[in-house]
Amino acid sequence: MVAVTAAPADAAAPVGHRRGPRPPALPVLAGIAVAALTLLPLAFVAYEAVQTGWAEASRLIFRQRTADLLWNTVRLTAGAVALSLVLGVAAAWLVERSDLPGRRVWTVLLVAPLAVPSFVNAFGWISIAPGLDGYTGAVTITTLSYFPLVFLPATAALRGLDPGLEESAYSLGLGRLAGFVRVVLPQLRPALLGGALLVSLHLLSEFGALALLRYPTFTTAIYDQFQSSFNSSAATMLAGVLVLLCLALLLADLGLRGRSRYARLGGGAPRPVTRAPLGPARWPVLAGLVALVVLALGVPIGSIVRWLLAGSSTGVDTHRLLQAAGTSLSLGAVAAVVTVVLAIPAAWLAVRHRGRVSALLEGSTYISSALPGIVVALALVTISIRAATPLYQTAPLLIAGYAILFIPRAVVTARAALAQAPPVLDSVARSLGEGTIGTLRRVTLPLIAPGLGAGAALVFLAVVTELTATLLLSPLGTRTLATEFWNQSSSLAYGAAAPYAALLVALSAPATYLLTRQTRRGTA
Amino acid sequence: MTALTLSGVTKAFGSTQVLRGVDLHVPARTLTAVLGPSGCGKTTLLRLVAGFDDPDSGTIALGGETVAGAGRPRPPQHRRVGYVPQEGALFPHLSVAANVGFGLPRKQRSAARVAELLELVGLSPALAGRHPHELSGGQQQRVALARALAPRPSIVLLDEPFSSLDAGLRESTRRAVADALVAAETTAVLVTHDQAEALSLADQVAVMRHGRLVQLAAPETVYGSPSDAGVAGFVGEAVLLPASVCDGHATCELGALAVRGAVAGSISGPARILLRPEQLVLSAAGSGGVEARVRDVSYYGHDASVRLELIPGGTEVLARVAGHDRPRPGSLVCLSVVGEALAYPGDAAPAEVILAPTPG
Amino acid sequence: MRWRGTTVAAVVGAAVLSLAAGCGLGSGSKTELVVYNAQHEDLVAAMLKGFAKDTGIDVTLRNGSDFELANQIVQEGSASPADVFLTENSPAMTLVSDKGLFAPLDEDTMAQVPAAYVSSKKDWIGFAARSTVLAYNTQSVPKSQLPASIMDLADPRWKGQVGIAPSGADFQAIVSAVVAVEGQSKAQAWLRGLESNAKIYRNNVAILSAVNAGEVGTGIIYHYYWYQDQAESGANSKNVQLEFFGHQDPGAFLSTSGAGVLKSSKHAEDAQKLVNYLTGKQGQQALVDSKALEYPLGNGVAANPTLKPLAELDPPKVDIGSLNGPQVVSMMQQAGLL
Repeated sequence: MVAVTAAPADAAAPVGHRRGPRPPALPVLAGIAVAALTLLPLAFVAYEAVQTGWAEASRLIFRQRTADLLWNTVRLTAGAVALSLVLGVAAAWLVERSDLPGRRVWTVLLVAPLAVPSFVNAFGWISIAPGLDGYTGAVTITTLSYFPLVFLPATAALRGLDPGLEESAYSLGLGRLAGFVRVVLPQLRPALLGGALLVSLHLLSEFGALALLRYPTFTTAIYDQFQSSFNSSAATMLAGVLVLLCLALLLADLGLRGRSRYARLGGGAPRPVTRAPLGPARWPVLAGLVALVVLALGVPIGSIVRWLLAGSSTGVDTHRLLQAAGTSLSLGAVAAVVTVVLAIPAAWLAVRHRGRVSALLEGSTYISSALPGIVVALALVTISIRAATPLYQTAPLLIAGYAILFIPRAVVTARAALAQAPPVLDSVARSLGEGTIGTLRRVTLPLIAPGLGAGAALVFLAVVTELTATLLLSPLGTRTLATEFWNQSSSLAYGAAAPYAALLVALSAPATYLLTRQTRRGTA
Repeated sequence: MTALTLSGVTKAFGSTQVLRGVDLHVPARTLTAVLGPSGCGKTTLLRLVAGFDDPDSGTIALGGETVAGAGRPRPPQHRRVGYVPQEGALFPHLSVAANVGFGLPRKQRSAARVAELLELVGLSPALAGRHPHELSGGQQQRVALARALAPRPSIVLLDEPFSSLDAGLRESTRRAVADALVAAETTAVLVTHDQAEALSLADQVAVMRHGRLVQLAAPETVYGSPSDAGVAGFVGEAVLLPASVCDGHATCELGALAVRGAVAGSISGPARILLRPEQLVLSAAGSGGVEARVRDVSYYGHDASVRLELIPGGTEVLARVAGHDRPRPGSLVCLSVVGEALAYPGDAAPAEVILAPTPG
Repeated sequence: MRWRGTTVAAVVGAAVLSLAAGCGLGSGSKTELVVYNAQHEDLVAAMLKGFAKDTGIDVTLRNGSDFELANQIVQEGSASPADVFLTENSPAMTLVSDKGLFAPLDEDTMAQVPAAYVSSKKDWIGFAARSTVLAYNTQSVPKSQLPASIMDLADPRWKGQVGIAPSGADFQAIVSAVVAVEGQSKAQAWLRGLESNAKIYRNNVAILSAVNAGEVGTGIIYHYYWYQDQAESGANSKNVQLEFFGHQDPGAFLSTSGAGVLKSSKHAEDAQKLVNYLTGKQGQQALVDSKALEYPLGNGVAANPTLKPLAELDPPKVDIGSLNGPQVVSMMQQAGLL
């Protein structure tokens, strides 16, 4: 659940867009229906809170356990975000503003941890160092998983900055460090705030890694409640508190960031930057970076390899592995198509008919991008039980869960895709004799297909590595790579879990590549 | 035969009335320029003719057949109207050849036809294999025109096709486009806010203001006999002075001037008269005529624009002189007027100098 | 890049095909029974192998956890596709039984196990049992210091020394036995004490491993985890020994794995056959022969000789049909364990 959409991005209205006719009804209705779907979990939690009544709700919420969970969650988020910011900014500065050797390689290596799903990372660590549970382990491992989410926007922002500002600062007598702190950091604010928000939201919805690390937070508690008492208000009330935390984060982000976005790449070629020489500090810095990459990437991958080699003792059930892979891939494919199709109305309105409706839809997408997978799953399970029993424990419900979780990232790519086909091209095609279908076929679709394909690929790969919602929503007997991995590693059958982990990493790598390309280009 | 006729066309968007009853006749195989400032409705007019939108009232007829205003409007794909938008809008995923051949039936999309069209717009057929992003702005516009001309449309509509080009490319591209249109014997309507463009390219100029056509005439007529002061100021630089007209002569600060034009005949008494700066001739001080002091001189190389202050009264006027003949700022000169002035009603209006927009 | 669009299309096509194939294209003329199984999958598969061979009835196992499946059956109600429900512990059976969803068992089935392992409503039967034990690290906890009763673990001196898995149905069943034996208020006090003393793990495997590693001194688990590990390599249990409380202490609770036929089953007769098989000589012997190392309940079937004999366990007498799941959850919530 990556909120790739930052604050509701107001791309400038397309050139020459007159205050034209109102948007056609069909996309508006479709968009509103999709928005309603994505806000369903939020509505559910609010409804439940009201239904439970204040007395019962306060009994369930205001107890020691909730306080413990809250404390755990807050201190984990604070620690991991702080560490990620430090690591991310430092690494970004080293890569973009110093004469670090092998910069290209470092950039790839420092982004690569995103290709290892966080629960696989935790597995990698805990299987070789079981003592790493509790707060220290949780903060370290989640930071190692998520610092690239700060590193990426920080490098993109640094790349787009005008070096003239820094140079004026130096010419005015500020030292390198002071110049960085007083001139560069403030300009990086939007990027850093965006990265911090992403990390926090990931942490709030993190389940697998924290369960493996035995660090109880709201998500693990909600899951336990759900397993024990199922359809209970206790789980929903905890979910409510979690949702409030997420919304509070969103508000903080909006408030701190206002309407600014990434520092945009200016038009024309940017001036080359004079890089700070590292001098003798180069060696300790390189050693530090190597250590970071080893910890973030080397340990989980090495651990998987080790268990794969040792795994012959526990025996790999190839049939099961292939079955799980097949299920994951088919679910991913169907979810990708469904999600991209659902994302099109909102994207179309945002690009072709900017106005109040499109702003509302974007806003709902922004909000739903913050909801954790477990809340979405809980909402869908309960709603289907109460109001749509035929859907309960069926694949369509699982697909709906995936769609709700991943529509935001599909909308972002769909918007970029639709921007490739401005309406003027439609007009020209029609003037040349093509009707609506012909225009779609020969002009619009070829232009938007690559972008939509990229969006579908992103969703596909996110679904394949999704754990939390799948655990709750998948029909009995449906095995995905993630759930099978989860079963095996929960029973400490590390050798059996390793092949699933390896496949998950292999499937995540392309998504990471796509994501980094997208962020590099500064597409908002 | 008229290739295009608009009668009483109106169009409103929400509460904004954009076109307020436009009547326009475009003869076949001519180029008509629709000239007007931004927001006057000229792009809307083009879109109505192309069929991308429908008029609220009035009719549009192409080649004698009504395509809008009577019953169901004909959709754009059946109007055989070529359209060249402001940015050219080549299909980025297709090559130049594929772009040009887009509107042609499959059988006709031959390399020969594409080469023929490219040559028509002054481009080398070797560009056929390139993609739009590999072309310069001017080349893209020409390809856009070739694409529009390929299916032999009855009329080609160009929406400010040169405004996105660098100044250097503009003139050559203009000429190429004009030549291509003549060679293809196509009717064309060109929308622009650049008066130099309109005057130099068009067979007839339609001046639009606030959703109405205020004058439809040949370029010389529009320049030489603008229908009102607004048009006059829009198509060129102007010097407007209050005067008293009597019997074909106007008395103003620059002396007694002959007045002409159909408009002039009906005017008597207080009026505004229009002079073009090139009609004001400078001579050495004391050589007869009205005395003036030179305020400043703007030198353009080939000519110069001189701002003068008339000695009695201080009224400001503008004169155009040859580049090598320009006076020094602050010097005294004598002014005389060559040719006739135009008179318009407008008694209380003060003297005014209308400067041209940036030279195109 | 046009290939991406084609790739997506190809993947979608493959997906649709595989989903269609996976959806199961009709069964043959053989009867097929659907079993909702919360017991360990390998054990049930081993026990039912002979059944499929003997009767020619196909068995489909849908695996899950005790309460997950129990709640699903309750939700599905009369529309449930389940024919038989198998659990690891009894509270989940009680949940379904209380809603009246089980069909009465055949007489001869019920005769195959001691009466104590048949529910009082005669609608479900135990087919395997496991004993609660205290696993302890032999190096850090000397035998002399072991508690006499499971209730002692709430004492402050055991702070940080007790491993439990409160989110699992296993521990919840043990708590329900404590409630049944000691009463609600004592049980609540015990839970509160445990909450401050205990280290939380996700499941019994994790507890055993942690005790073995010395992370925590003791852990409340079921016996077979230790025995299974010992039988394999001992890697997770070489430093661990088991303490059986005996003396009808709640800590000696013998948890029953239950089997019941659903009223909504469309193959009632075959379903009864299956339950009969499970509790009969063949099924029970298959249990003993398997690697599961749980206790068989069938009359005249002896447990694996490595296990502590069932007769020596001296578990507390509880009515297996009365162990209440939801009440336990509520109590654990109050204590802050859930």
